Amino acid sequence: MKKRILIVEDDIHISNIIKMNLTLVGYETEQVYDGMEALDRIKGGKFDLILLDVMIPRMDGFELMEKIRPMQIPVIFLTAKNAVFDKVIGLKLGADDYMVKPFEAIELLARMETVLRRYGKEETIMSFQDINVYIDKREVTVREEVVELTPKEYELLLVLLKNKNIALSREQFIEKVWGGDFYGETRTVDMHIKSLRKKLNLQDHIKTIYKIGYRLED
Amino acid sequence: MKFWQKICLFSILTFIIIFNAASIMVIERNHSKMLQQEITNTLSANMSINSSVNAVVPILRIYDSIDYEKTVLTNIANQFVRRNSDQGSYLEIADDKDKTVFSNLDFAMPSEREERNKLAPGEIKYILRDIGERTLLFTANVTDINHKSYVFSYIKDVTPLYAERMDQYTFFVQMDVVACLIYIIVMFFISKGLTKPIETMVRSAKEIAQGDFSERVHLKSRDEIGVLATNFNEMAAVVEDKIIELERNNGEKQRFINNITHELKTPLTSIIGYANYMRSTKYDEATFLEGLNVIYSEGKRLESLATKLMDLILLKDHQFQMKKGNLKDVVTELEPSLKQIVASKGIQLEMDCQDCRLPLEKDLIKIVIFNLIDNAVKASSEEGKVMIRTLDQRGSCILEVADEGSGISQEHIDKIFEPFYMADKARTRNNNGAGLGLSICRSIADIHHAEIEVDSEVGVGTTIRIVFPPCREGSEDAP
Repeated sequence: MKKRILIVEDDIHISNIIKMNLTLVGYETEQVYDGMEALDRIKGGKFDLILLDVMIPRMDGFELMEKIRPMQIPVIFLTAKNAVFDKVIGLKLGADDYMVKPFEAIELLARMETVLRRYGKEETIMSFQDINVYIDKREVTVREEVVELTPKEYELLLVLLKNKNIALSREQFIEKVWGGDFYGETRTVDMHIKSLRKKLNLQDHIKTIYKIGYRLED
Repeated sequence: MKFWQKICLFSILTFIIIFNAASIMVIERNHSKMLQQEITNTLSANMSINSSVNAVVPILRIYDSIDYEKTVLTNIANQFVRRNSDQGSYLEIADDKDKTVFSNLDFAMPSEREERNKLAPGEIKYILRDIGERTLLFTANVTDINHKSYVFSYIKDVTPLYAERMDQYTFFVQMDVVACLIYIIVMFFISKGLTKPIETMVRSAKEIAQGDFSERVHLKSRDEIGVLATNFNEMAAVVEDKIIELERNNGEKQRFINNITHELKTPLTSIIGYANYMRSTKYDEATFLEGLNVIYSEGKRLESLATKLMDLILLKDHQFQMKKGNLKDVVTELEPSLKQIVASKGIQLEMDCQDCRLPLEKDLIKIVIFNLIDNAVKASSEEGKVMIRTLDQRGSCILEVADEGSGISQEHIDKIFEPFYMADKARTRNNNGAGLGLSICRSIADIHHAEIEVDSEVGVGTTIRIVFPPCREGSEDAP
């Protein structure tokens, strides 16, 4: 079932770009543009996560946060304010994370995923075409047949699946799969992509994007 | 040591020294006076013996017998002793070979008697001497009788005088202790009382030092400390005002920075977001065009923000040269470009300009007119009307821009001059506004010492009037 995300952001362009990115990776979104409207929607509908801008008209993000806190919906604040004080207020009010504008889409997706996992709302099975990934078992099947992957290949596959339709650079793959303290060459990524393509028959779906990196496409 | 302790200690020390010194001087003076009196009495007693002896000397010369002399002298001595029968008077008569002729001494005569040495006839000498526990006054004179010298010693016991002095000292010590105790107690309270206001002020000063700038000293006395307290309070009030002002300035600055950050980051977020989306996803023409449009318009917004910020910063730090000018000329000069602005939205521009001569900075006035017209156009619907007027009202020039647009509600009117304040955020953003136009207008008005008046009614329209101060007649003739 698709996760429902409420985007509370008064700047229509920012709201749209967030919506586009979330739609790409398979979230269902709803957009509202001020605090009062957001409160109405939250009371009315069931959301898995709220992306909440702090400076919004009619009722600011902090005030809204206080009102919706008892509902136990995960909240990530989006704000242009960089001040530590505001971060502390936001987190104290019960927000789960804090994104400072401008932010990168994959950073937002990663944080959303972390927050959803904390609330036990993460997927246990991820699917792409005829591939199924059973996350709790760490098992990958292609057409019901188990395929053996090395740990790094498995991690790489998860990153691709979670950022479906978004191109990631080799550096981003390294950071997410090998960790920030990996000093190997970006060639390592190419090697692993090559073997994933081969093992899972993804030659047509893992696209090489000129000057950027790789993208998993439907 | 604390101040009250110092006051207390020094005054007590001074008191003790002066009181003791004075008392000792009084006692000693008293004593020496009485002693002098006694000496005078004793000497005159001795003289009286001397004179009685001198009276009989002629008779003794006739008889010239030692035995007779001795008998006469003894008789005189006995008579004298009987007359001065009080306690502590002694008489001794000795001849030139130091043989005692008469004596009623009850103590041993000291062997060394310097008062007797080199006594001239008719001379009386005296000396004070301690014998046993007594103090005795020795007087001596010598009389020649038939070529023999007799020494008459009259001795007076003056111990009671010394006892009296001792007695006075004893009494004085008792009195001294009591007086000092009373003085110490009184001084303790006095010095405490005198320094209490100082302690009050110290407490207040500490409070203020700890950051409570609203603290004041509450003292009602009119002495120097009262004056000090009043001055202290005035100082505290000045400091408090300054601090409040600093805090307000700081807060304003912080808000300004926060707003700039927000206004910079919002378009940047869109630009980066769209650019990244477009480079990392599969090409799709509709999305691509939409993205490029957003990037373009947000870029434009950043550009306009940068220009306006530069204007604001320039206005804050610059000294402007005012020159005599005519408002009407400035408006006329701008007419073509203003017409262009209004025409793009199909709005009609009405101009009604009187001659208005005043000192002005032409470029700044142009910025004001542009901003006001821009706001008016944005507020107006299509086919609306925007008026620009300049008029001279009893010497004070007025620049007025009016529209028949959406108007500003009362809750927003007080805030529209604040930097980055937007009454209608969405509309302002769509027009590439940053909420700085009216801030800039106000800064420029301030430079011209002009007031800005706003009349607005929702749905009816807005009139913004810049009222310049009346210029003096004298400057009217200036070139």
